Amino acid sequence: MESDSMDLKVRELLKEVTLDYSPTLSKHVNDTVSAIKDAIDKIPDDLKVTADEAPGFVRDIGADKVEFKFKKPTSIEIGGSYAIQCIVKPDINVDLFIRLPKECFHEKDYLNYRYHAKRCLYLSIIKKYLKFSSVKVEWSTLQNEARKPVLLVYPATELVGLPGFFVRIIPTTNSLFTIKKLNLKRSNIRALTHGGIPQATPKYNSSILEDMFLEDTSELIKKTFLGWKELGEASILLKVWARQRSSIYVHDCLNGFLISVILSYLASQNKIANSMRAMQIFRVTLNFIGRYLFNEIRKTNFFHLRCCTWSPLQKYGTMDSTSDGKARRVYHRRKGFHIKKLFQLLFVIHQLPSICHFVYQGLVSFRYYLPGHCGPYLQDEATLTLKCIEKCRDGGFEEIFMTKVDSAAKYDYCIRLDLKGKSEVHASGFCLDDECWRLYEQKVHSLLNQGLNNRAKLIRVIWRNTLSECSIENGFSILDREPLLVGVSVNSMENAFRVVDIGPNAENKQEALKFRKFWGEKAELRRFKDGTIAESTVWESEHWNRHLILKRIAEYVLLRHLSLSKENIVHILDQLDFSLLHGVRDPISFSGSLLKALEVLSKRLRLIQDIPLKVSSVQPLDPAFRFTSVFPPEPHPLAIDKGDVPRLQKLMPSCIQPLEVMIQLEGSGNWPMDDIAIEKTKTAFLLKIGESLQNSWGMTCTATEDDVDVFMSGYVFRLKIWHERGLSLLKREDGSDQFKWVSSIDKELFVRSQHSSMINGLQGRYPLYGPVVRIAKRWVASHLFSSCLGEEAVELLVAHLFLKPLPFNAPCSRITGFLRFLRLLSEYDWTFSALVVDINEDLSPKDEKEISNNFMLTRKGYEENKQNISAAMFLATAYDKASEAWTRFSPNVSELKRLVAYARSSANLLNKLILQDQIDSYKWECLLRTPLNNYDAVILLHRDRLPYPQRLLFPSELNQGKHVARGNASKVFQPFMSPVDFKGSLEELKNKLLVNFDPLRFFVGDLEKEFSNMFKVWYDSLGGDAIGITWDRFSSKKRGREEGEDPVDVLKSVGQFGKGFVRSVYSLKSPRLMN
Amino acid sequence: MDLQLKHKKNKKKRQNTDKLQKDEVLNMEVEREKSKPTEKNKRKREKGNDIDTGKAVRSNIKDGSINAISGRKMKESSRKKNRKNEERNTLTGKSEQPSTDAEVEFVDQYGKSKKAKHKKKEDGGSSKKGETDQDEVCHLSCGDESCSKGVKGSSKKARMKRKKEHNSSKEAKKSQEKAPEADSDDVYQISSGDEDCSKGMKKWIMEYNQSRPGLKVLEQNIDEFITAHEANLEQERKEREAQAAEGGWTVVVHHKGRKKTTDVESGTTVGSVAKAVVEDNMKKKKREEVKLDFYRFQRREAQRNEILTLQSKFEEDKKRIQQLRAARKFRPY
Repeated sequence: MESDSMDLKVRELLKEVTLDYSPTLSKHVNDTVSAIKDAIDKIPDDLKVTADEAPGFVRDIGADKVEFKFKKPTSIEIGGSYAIQCIVKPDINVDLFIRLPKECFHEKDYLNYRYHAKRCLYLSIIKKYLKFSSVKVEWSTLQNEARKPVLLVYPATELVGLPGFFVRIIPTTNSLFTIKKLNLKRSNIRALTHGGIPQATPKYNSSILEDMFLEDTSELIKKTFLGWKELGEASILLKVWARQRSSIYVHDCLNGFLISVILSYLASQNKIANSMRAMQIFRVTLNFIGRYLFNEIRKTNFFHLRCCTWSPLQKYGTMDSTSDGKARRVYHRRKGFHIKKLFQLLFVIHQLPSICHFVYQGLVSFRYYLPGHCGPYLQDEATLTLKCIEKCRDGGFEEIFMTKVDSAAKYDYCIRLDLKGKSEVHASGFCLDDECWRLYEQKVHSLLNQGLNNRAKLIRVIWRNTLSECSIENGFSILDREPLLVGVSVNSMENAFRVVDIGPNAENKQEALKFRKFWGEKAELRRFKDGTIAESTVWESEHWNRHLILKRIAEYVLLRHLSLSKENIVHILDQLDFSLLHGVRDPISFSGSLLKALEVLSKRLRLIQDIPLKVSSVQPLDPAFRFTSVFPPEPHPLAIDKGDVPRLQKLMPSCIQPLEVMIQLEGSGNWPMDDIAIEKTKTAFLLKIGESLQNSWGMTCTATEDDVDVFMSGYVFRLKIWHERGLSLLKREDGSDQFKWVSSIDKELFVRSQHSSMINGLQGRYPLYGPVVRIAKRWVASHLFSSCLGEEAVELLVAHLFLKPLPFNAPCSRITGFLRFLRLLSEYDWTFSALVVDINEDLSPKDEKEISNNFMLTRKGYEENKQNISAAMFLATAYDKASEAWTRFSPNVSELKRLVAYARSSANLLNKLILQDQIDSYKWECLLRTPLNNYDAVILLHRDRLPYPQRLLFPSELNQGKHVARGNASKVFQPFMSPVDFKGSLEELKNKLLVNFDPLRFFVGDLEKEFSNMFKVWYDSLGGDAIGITWDRFSSKKRGREEGEDPVDVLKSVGQFGKGFVRSVYSLKSPRLMN
Repeated sequence: MDLQLKHKKNKKKRQNTDKLQKDEVLNMEVEREKSKPTEKNKRKREKGNDIDTGKAVRSNIKDGSINAISGRKMKESSRKKNRKNEERNTLTGKSEQPSTDAEVEFVDQYGKSKKAKHKKKEDGGSSKKGETDQDEVCHLSCGDESCSKGVKGSSKKARMKRKKEHNSSKEAKKSQEKAPEADSDDVYQISSGDEDCSKGMKKWIMEYNQSRPGLKVLEQNIDEFITAHEANLEQERKEREAQAAEGGWTVVVHHKGRKKTTDVESGTTVGSVAKAVVEDNMKKKKREEVKLDFYRFQRREAQRNEILTLQSKFEEDKKRIQQLRAARKFRPY
């Protein structure tokens, strides 16, 4: 069943991305190609070409003797993915191989970049003539290799449905040079010497060899693919897969061509059978990449594979021209091949940064040198994808093909290096054996690798430095415009948060010296507990700041070893921390004392003797106890036990947040039967408990009819009694036929305690869970969604990211986690899928079935009316299989739509901020700054009447719309106590503390009571100073009373309801009338 | 909870001091007033009363009970006396002025417009000025009270305050009317609400204070409620029995006592029927249901139904795929 749906989805996907190879298309392509041919035909033969065509290029590449006489290309052929019909939308282009004529080159042109220079000059001539025939021509490069430019030709007329179509002109050379001369161990750049000894130039040689065998390889691929539909489909699937993963679909790793090569290799190895379906081939290929390819390389450092007999290649068959002859001989002997039977051909895929060589031998085999840092990455991605297939719903279709695994979401920690105009990069020339940019990539990689050592699991350095539209003939100095991007995947939080790095033992002089050289003054000689004396680095920092250690190390290392200034380095790690700070401190740092206080409290509660039933258990309910509260309370100097002397501060908040704690009493048969009486009895008990605490410990206790609060060690705890009988009564009701949600205080308490303990457990497993939740909650609130998405719902959503991280690993940084939260919110298919958050991983198939049945029930009405679904966001958990606890009523369909839209735009902005934008804290703030013009009316509040003014992120102002009303601040409430008040006794002061006093909540409550059918209120429960209002559509039925009412009058009376709190009311849009 | 224990507690409370009882009387008095409609002709009288009670409560700090009584007496006094009282109050207000001004200034550090309003009122006439001043004083003294007397005092204060605010709200409104005119643009001015406690910040503060009358009062309220509640239940039961008995039938009543059973897991009592018994009953019922496929036609029907549901499910799936396609769910870019 499952595989069926996967097949179906894959078919649909293929339909979406495959190009329709219709006659019109082929005509269009042929027309374009023939136009190019015509243009080339017009170039006069024996045209003298000199370096003046591309002076910058020739200069920077360091070539001598580049003059030649132009001859027409030997052949012009269509190749690449168009030839095998494997183009994947939306990137539609056709590769055109232009074989450079032998006559233009000398025998020794493989030396000193002469080939590269001539290649470029040849293209410049073509470009010049193409421009005459009024087509748009642009420079580009082959796999980001600036020394090998290609031309992009955009046809003059664009075909409908083919936006951005272009033809890529790629020069090739067949048997231009002797392969022997391009042996990997030969030195072909004379200038490159080390102490007078010429250095081998393997990459340079490969670069030429690639051009020499491009056509042949392409031919081989074509042969394998033609007439094998499934193979083609598999290659399309692989391309879609790779494209979603921008960190592997780059110049030094995978590309479409390489995918085809691997596929045809596997086919020749009979690893892919003719009977396989596309998805099976896909899986086999990933398995090969993930399990065998690199493992084999790692073991032997080279990799021989028999590929296929391919006779045309035999014409190049000169004996043993490649390097590493010895190793290969060993191989041949072992395998029992006779070496003379083999025709060796070298094919080099040069893109892989160090060397990735495909060696086609007589029975074509290819050898693959261990590439620098891309190998582990590719392997990692492949293994993760295989995991997706095994573990995810519907075979992981969504995760594999539809989810973007781009750098921003993939890496935990990104660094951008702005290297514009840094001459350091090309100090010793642009192109040596390798290009200077690739060398720099490696340098940065090795620095960070050494600096972060096992804190980082994988470090990826990518510099996409060549842009299209750049004019390459003017030289390479413009190629450092784009920033270099470093992505770091964190190994584990313990490693990443480690404060001390222990280096080599002091006795090991050589190592110690190396260590000192690398770390400079940061290296310290330290004596450790076990008696060893070793070199070490210490990154002292407070507990709540530990996540910044990574940044400090990276910055230190980069600044020390590269000539960069701080402004050139952008770390993406702590930009959102500002939203969680109180002043300069993260209030989470008080959590330790909070938990201690809770412990003492529960001990005291259990010790109480003078109540009829003893306290049997105490359980925390508030998010502050599980580290997921955005602002866990700071200890208040007044909320202390009797006898302690308060330390009076200058600014003492006059409000204090209570923290809910659930109490269970011993069982008893004397409880009353009905709900009201039960609640009253509970309060009576709590009052007794409060009195007892007051008498025996001197704790202050204050109470209302519903709540009992006790003061202790700077905190206020709100006590709640859970009476389990209430739950069993409910259960019985559930057992009956009618399925009804009975809201009862006991049920709610039960669900909350379950949620609390589960999240607490999760938080222990993933130390980063808490911070991510806090940022996510802050985002939800700051966009005025406080009433739509409850705190618990946010906790569950974020929990999902950690529990089901595929196709990623669980996030290890705040920003990555936050980005994935936004993506989950915006991309999840809320209408058609339930989100099951299996916190303890203990849901049985039966439970899952129950959940899906419940889900279907909520979606029953969808057919008739798209608005008609309850629980628009269906969140199921082990304790709540019908999504009744948190998202039953809100968000509703329209609220969810709004939420999704906000999440999408925030995610896009965040993505942009991580990858492109310069350091600009304002832009980061925009993530949490909500545009007020999205509301029909806006109420601005007095900032200094908010209970916690320091939590306000940005003061809101509005200068549009109609200013309807303004109001003055009330004097009866101040968020901070006045020094005058301090004169009184401690008891008096305590009584002035307002527990859980929140004017915003009262105001919104009043508004919702009074105007519930007229408008919807959007607000920020965490302390924003703006409230948004959107008019409900007046339905013709309800109009009766409201008809005559002027929206302005309504807004005026809204202002009246918030007297003393409302600063001003603006009207932006009038209510729409709907008939 | 042990109910007997509770009754004892009740008795203890009833033996509580005179003061408490009188306080309650006062509370009730104020409550009654609150419920009165604020008609114009009644308003004046109330104003007087309010001031009286206010004064009474204020002096309560020193010696509660006697003053409370005096407050009641004063309420009964005539309108003429009210006039005098008012004057007296203005005087007290003025006398306390110097000490309060400083505080006002502090409170006012943000909203300076308030001061301006005061000035306007001063222009309106000396009597009005007196009233507003008194208002301030009253508010501040209330604060003192809540400090010294705790939650009990503050609730009273709040109620009293509310009355005061009612009175002055008229003036506030008058000044409001003036303000927009001066502003020339038609931005509606909302008062700071310090004079009026039916809406806004003052109301919330007041409600907050009201909701915390102190542990003792709350306990007493709950006890009273429980007693009343139980009495009600008892009454209902008796009525039912009586009604049934009238019809000439003897009612067999299930008396609680013997049949109680305890929950296996938690040891708490579960209603009057044991859980196990309920479950047993359920099982029996189920067994009866099983016989649904006794006849062949039933079985056939069931089979057909199953096929139908499967078909409908298939259709649903197909529809879903179409919706997904419409939403471009298969396009990876």
